[in-house]
Amino acid sequence: MAKAFAPIVITANDLVEGDSVFLGPEGWTRDIRMARVARTAEEATALDASGAQGETQNLVVGPYRVEVSLETGAPVPVLRREQIRASGVPTIPVGPAAIEAAREAA
Amino acid sequence: MQLIDLTGRAQDRWAHVGDEDPIPAEGPVIVPAARLFEVAEGRETGIHVGNDTDPEDLVPLFDRLQLVSVAFPSFADGRGFSIGRKLRALGFDGTLRASGPVIADQFAYLIACGFDEVCIPDALAERQPPEQWEAARRLISAGYQRGLGAGRSILDARTGR
Amino acid sequence: MYRYDEFDHRFVQERVAEFRSQVTRRLDGSLNENEFKPLRLMNGLYLQLHAYMLRVAIPYGTLDSARMRMLAHIAEKWDRGYGHFTTRQNIQFNWPKLSDVPDILDALASVEMHAIQTSGNCIRNTTSDPYAGVAADEVEDPRITAELIRQWSSLHPEFTFLGRKFKIAVTGSAEDRTALKVHDIGIQIVRNTAGETGYRVLVGGGLGRTPMIAKELRAFLPREDLLPYLEAALRVYNLHGRRDNKYKARIKILVHEIGIEEYARQVEAEFAALDRDAIAAPVEEVARIAAYFAPPKLAARPAESTAFERARQVDPGFAAWASQNTFPHRVPGYVAATISLKPIGGAPGDATAEQMRAMADLAEKYSRDELRVTHEQNVVLPHVALDDLHSVYRGLAGVGLDAPNKGLVTDIVACPGLDYCALATARSIPVAQNIARRFGSTARQKEIGPLSIKISGCINACGHHHVGHIGILGLDKAGVESYQITLGGDATETAALGDRTGPGFGYDEVADVIEKLVDRYIELREVPQETFLQTYRRVGMEPFKEAIYATH
Repeated sequence: MAKAFAPIVITANDLVEGDSVFLGPEGWTRDIRMARVARTAEEATALDASGAQGETQNLVVGPYRVEVSLETGAPVPVLRREQIRASGVPTIPVGPAAIEAAREAA
Repeated sequence: MQLIDLTGRAQDRWAHVGDEDPIPAEGPVIVPAARLFEVAEGRETGIHVGNDTDPEDLVPLFDRLQLVSVAFPSFADGRGFSIGRKLRALGFDGTLRASGPVIADQFAYLIACGFDEVCIPDALAERQPPEQWEAARRLISAGYQRGLGAGRSILDARTGR
Repeated sequence: MYRYDEFDHRFVQERVAEFRSQVTRRLDGSLNENEFKPLRLMNGLYLQLHAYMLRVAIPYGTLDSARMRMLAHIAEKWDRGYGHFTTRQNIQFNWPKLSDVPDILDALASVEMHAIQTSGNCIRNTTSDPYAGVAADEVEDPRITAELIRQWSSLHPEFTFLGRKFKIAVTGSAEDRTALKVHDIGIQIVRNTAGETGYRVLVGGGLGRTPMIAKELRAFLPREDLLPYLEAALRVYNLHGRRDNKYKARIKILVHEIGIEEYARQVEAEFAALDRDAIAAPVEEVARIAAYFAPPKLAARPAESTAFERARQVDPGFAAWASQNTFPHRVPGYVAATISLKPIGGAPGDATAEQMRAMADLAEKYSRDELRVTHEQNVVLPHVALDDLHSVYRGLAGVGLDAPNKGLVTDIVACPGLDYCALATARSIPVAQNIARRFGSTARQKEIGPLSIKISGCINACGHHHVGHIGILGLDKAGVESYQITLGGDATETAALGDRTGPGFGYDEVADVIEKLVDRYIELREVPQETFLQTYRRVGMEPFKEAIYATH
């Protein structure tokens, strides 16, 4: 039996702002929970085409597929890299918040 | 392909002859270096060379050549800049052409390295019309390097040379 | 310190206008991403995991207070209130918008700064010794040469689309504080037997996936030949370096494949054919630059300072900091003070806008308005009178920059890793933080002595792990972060690449493993003065391997 197709979403970076964005039902969204999920190879190919269009229209840069799990309903990336990317921030406090955290700890 | 030089969009009066094409009976031709022997001496002749060419190998041909076209397989492959500069240093005084998908933002560098013109794919010329090339070329009025063909170096301007 | 003249100002302003035009043409589609990417990289602009990242050049690591304050301003106005100082003496901002970058570059130009060639396949920011003009063993201030190279390499028409990036470092001292031997070209200012000043030129060093130590290309190059010789060296690389494989495109691979003798032969042949006088910098120009780097006129002071001695006795925190974070100055009564950007639990190399302003204020008041960035991701105040050192320390303590750990186990170099970087395969910053917390006690750090830990979050080695006494390389093993350890690396004049201990460790194990290595070193060292590196060189890998792999 062929291996089951792992669901995917399409991500890219916004051309102007640089943020991670995901292909949603109505254009690109910053919230992966709003992303369109492809559950079959055919659906994924169709999403690829929409993603590529975003690039030719100079909206986004470098669209690619991200494998997601749907266990909790909303799509969650499988790989740590994509989890961090979808979260939009580093895994640790940074900048002034980090200094504040260190002061409180001390 | 579209030809752009310092005057803007230019008419390409040279016939481009590939590896297999027949050589036209008359008029200026650019042939692959290996086919130079097929072109009668005395005719207006150019050769097209790859960017792995050793410029010194071309020195014996300089008398016969009115044009050298250097291949830029990609704008990111900058070997042709060194080839152009070396050809000029070795004494080539004919037309130097950069052929391939170079971009407007490289025009000033190409001119500085001794090139006279670029021959670019049509689709690229459509996105980047001659006005963009002209504008991009003029954005930086002087560079620091000395010993380049075009323009005055900042170092020379400072010392009044 | 170098100041722009009308030509430099115009050049940088035109460069900003050029980038503004490139951004406009990118947004209207005249330039596609494939074409725009190398152009934005050549202006320091990356697209990272979460956002664009702008790397600003700090030529040879030298700053004044106005420039540092501008960096703080940029951090607040266009970023998220902080920046990250890098191993190549630059600073990067992690959250700018593409549409704001031309304005950021304008702001930088107003204080004589830019982001030219901080990335891309071109000649990068020329780095140098953070103790330039301070160190007693210096033949000449290396920044004169570095500034000459900065100008020559800026938008060099022939060398702006090289096969790969090209990094040059310059030092004026035999004791190397620039990681000279892991640069594409390393330049050491030397004096020959006739007493003339010139250059020893090294080539082909680099880290990344194929780390190599540089080899000597020229034992002595007359100083007037510098630029023609660099043109010859770059031209041979540009024409003959590999273009078929990105990972084999650095000059180190060319030099390795054809051999240093053959590479040197080709460079010398090219050099002999050049019109040197047409290319070399005029002597007046070199003299003009040199005048900017004349040693500051520091008022004579007694070598001992009673204010300093008194402060040391009443303030033990200051005493610890002063003994660890200072470097001898050639002028009696002064020191160069290192501001550690490695507070325990912080992100190595990060500074907030508030901290940048505090550093700027201290530099203005106590260090002849000068600051230096080091390749260890710290900042140096180069000219501090001993009498003022306690005031400097208190100023730093007020903003959390008083860590007394320069060169110690918690002075960790780390790349941004998977928390920021699109290329990373594992996290680096939290690993550094875990290790730093483990060794947080100042007394324990002091007992361990000099120990450099360097962490990279992928094989590209931005964290210089190959040349850490202990190197840590984060990889991805089937979706799980795995950390390889190397021992015995050295970035100085006795440069060496670290040896791998063996299989990697999980994210949660790294701090334990480092502690075991350190404990084993303490057991093994013959005298407390024997450093980790010396012990490793004496006893080799086996006892360390046993410490971390043996099942007890």
